[in-house]
Amino acid sequence: METLVAAAIHDAKNGLNALNTWLGEAHQQAPSPALDAAMEVSTRISAQLVELLAMYRADEGSLRLAIEDHHLMDFCSETVAEVIPPAGTSSRVTLALDPDHSPEVWAFDAYQVKLVLQDALRNALRHARTSVVLDVTGEPGGGVRFCVSDDGSGFPAPVLEGALSTMNSHSSGLGLRFARVIAAHHATPDGRHGRLELSNQNGACFALVLP
Amino acid sequence: MDLSGKSGLLIDDIPEMRTTVRIQLADAGLERCDAARNIKEAIDRLTANRYDLIICDYNLGQGADGQQLLELVRRQQLLPMSTVFLMITGETGYEQVSTAAEYAPDDYLLKPFTSETLRTRLSRILDKKEALKRLYQHMGEKGDRSKALAMCDILIEEKSRYALDILRIKGDLLLAQKNPLAALALYESVLAQRATPWAEVGRARALAADGQTDAAKEHLARALTAYPNYLAAYDSLSKILEKTDKVAAQQLVEQALKVAPSTQRQRQLGSLALENKDFTRAEEAFRRTVEKDRTGFFKSHDDYAGLAKSYVEQGKTKEALATVSDMSQHFRKSPELTARQAAVESVVHIRSGNTAAAAAALERALAVSKQGGLDPTTALEVAQACFAAGKTDEAKNIIKAVAEDHHESEEVIAQARSVFAAAGMQAEGDLFLEATRKQMIKLNNDAVAMAKAGDLDTAISMLEEAANRLTNNCQVAVNAALAILMQVQKHGPTPERFARAQGYILQARRANPEHPRLAEVTGFYRKLAPAGTPIIEG
Repeated sequence: METLVAAAIHDAKNGLNALNTWLGEAHQQAPSPALDAAMEVSTRISAQLVELLAMYRADEGSLRLAIEDHHLMDFCSETVAEVIPPAGTSSRVTLALDPDHSPEVWAFDAYQVKLVLQDALRNALRHARTSVVLDVTGEPGGGVRFCVSDDGSGFPAPVLEGALSTMNSHSSGLGLRFARVIAAHHATPDGRHGRLELSNQNGACFALVLP
Repeated sequence: MDLSGKSGLLIDDIPEMRTTVRIQLADAGLERCDAARNIKEAIDRLTANRYDLIICDYNLGQGADGQQLLELVRRQQLLPMSTVFLMITGETGYEQVSTAAEYAPDDYLLKPFTSETLRTRLSRILDKKEALKRLYQHMGEKGDRSKALAMCDILIEEKSRYALDILRIKGDLLLAQKNPLAALALYESVLAQRATPWAEVGRARALAADGQTDAAKEHLARALTAYPNYLAAYDSLSKILEKTDKVAAQQLVEQALKVAPSTQRQRQLGSLALENKDFTRAEEAFRRTVEKDRTGFFKSHDDYAGLAKSYVEQGKTKEALATVSDMSQHFRKSPELTARQAAVESVVHIRSGNTAAAAAALERALAVSKQGGLDPTTALEVAQACFAAGKTDEAKNIIKAVAEDHHESEEVIAQARSVFAAAGMQAEGDLFLEATRKQMIKLNNDAVAMAKAGDLDTAISMLEEAANRLTNNCQVAVNAALAILMQVQKHGPTPERFARAQGYILQARRANPEHPRLAEVTGFYRKLAPAGTPIIEG
């Protein structure tokens, strides 16, 4: 079953990659906001498929992360650079990495964490009034905190209380579920695990804390 | 860093992909780029040219992948440390690449990617290679480990941006230099800052090297619960278990294979299963190693020998003999091949009750073996066939010669131990091998003591006799060269003495370029050698 689900998801992803290439070509010939929007959608679906596969594996007990050291500055720059802002948003992402307060290198699964953060960034861009900030800081007890914050109206109360999506949104809550699973799968040999912390400050604040 | 002056090699089996990536590389600024379609072409290119960048697709067709290629070219020293190796992969390959243990690419990139991402990644690795250039020059085959270690400290002192990469290299160097306690301290200091898999595994390796096996096992087991994809942890733990609990080792390798199916691990599984008498599993594992790789670049005699033995133990004589004769088609003719085929064939015939054919095959194996010069694995295969045929003395003589020649190699001694165990003589074998090892240590110690006491002539004749017989024994060759150099110091230099000393130093280096005492003897030689004496490079 694993192989069938995985193969089907890969197939679908390859199809989307091809679609993206065609959209890119069309964009080169005649750029248009409609093509930009189409590219954003296909990139998002592609990410959702990968998230779906990870969720499936987590359920089966076969999700294994690939933990390795990564330079946080390089990783965050790449993560931000690859985000295509959703149609109709004018906010931009600022990277706020303070070399004095954030660790230089951390060990985590760059592929999955990038998906988590890009999801959060897209979501923040949709809700921000003017700006979105990605920030990384060291945790006092050992750990690293990736924080995506915006200046929008904040998370609705049910989401802060643990709901995966609000009744009136059309979101399946996949993004949040995926983020929780990836956080929890980050572990250390002494038994610490990652977690997700959602809060409202000047707007919504999405924090992924990794051990 | 600017890519325009660099040279690249792109390896991909799909023509459209080669075109696309080549355009992206040109967009990224890399103008000079050769292409290879498969493993063979890649190796030809790498043998003939030197590249700054290698961009390789994970999937290379014909059952071969980029990871195998990387391991092969690193082992064959075709890939200098300064060359960038970037692996391009789809999602499936990503799981294999991101977990690669010993031979990891410098970086990997998931398809699809933009020219900009490709440029950023390549120039980032080039920056790192440039920053570590002063360290890389002391590493590799002709390197000097003490100089490399000193350079690590200098670079860390200079607050290199790559301090962690340097610490990682330093830990490996300390372990290779058999300094587990210094390595342990290094890993502990990294782990005091944060948890990271390479330092976890490093700590366990240091503990194991220091003889703290149980602590090492405990740390690795815990590391695997947190990092279930980290192959280096499986490899380190299986190395420990292979010595203590082969059934547990087999189970662990099965788990590692689920993470990443590599030929190397299939082979390891096959031999463990064979030793555990799990013959159907052994057959399956060896069949995979034989069948998976249709390029033929990664096959080993061991795979066919293992497959034949797994067959015959299940009564499949015909398949076993076919496997043995198959070897002629897949490998170049060599004394090793002839001896291996004959030895395995003999075992197969014995198991199927054909004693006449077994005796004839063993004769052929022994004829090659008596000429000497076989690699230890093949020689031990002949010994195993001797045991099977009841020729215990011949078997022991062969094993003794191998053990004397390789008394410092844990790997060879473990193989020899397995041969005894397979013949049902485990306890006797352990005593025999330990006695042989002690004899070799005593020979070296006696000679050194004699030399120090002033009886240089006796010491030299003892050591030269041993060194001429045991051409793979690094320590004996080092001591022979040292004794001759002491004679030079005492009685004056002659060209003949220097030529002999140099001969043994080169012999020692061929036997084990990593031997901790090589630097000492080479330094001594250089100090004494007058102008005009042949210089030893390195």
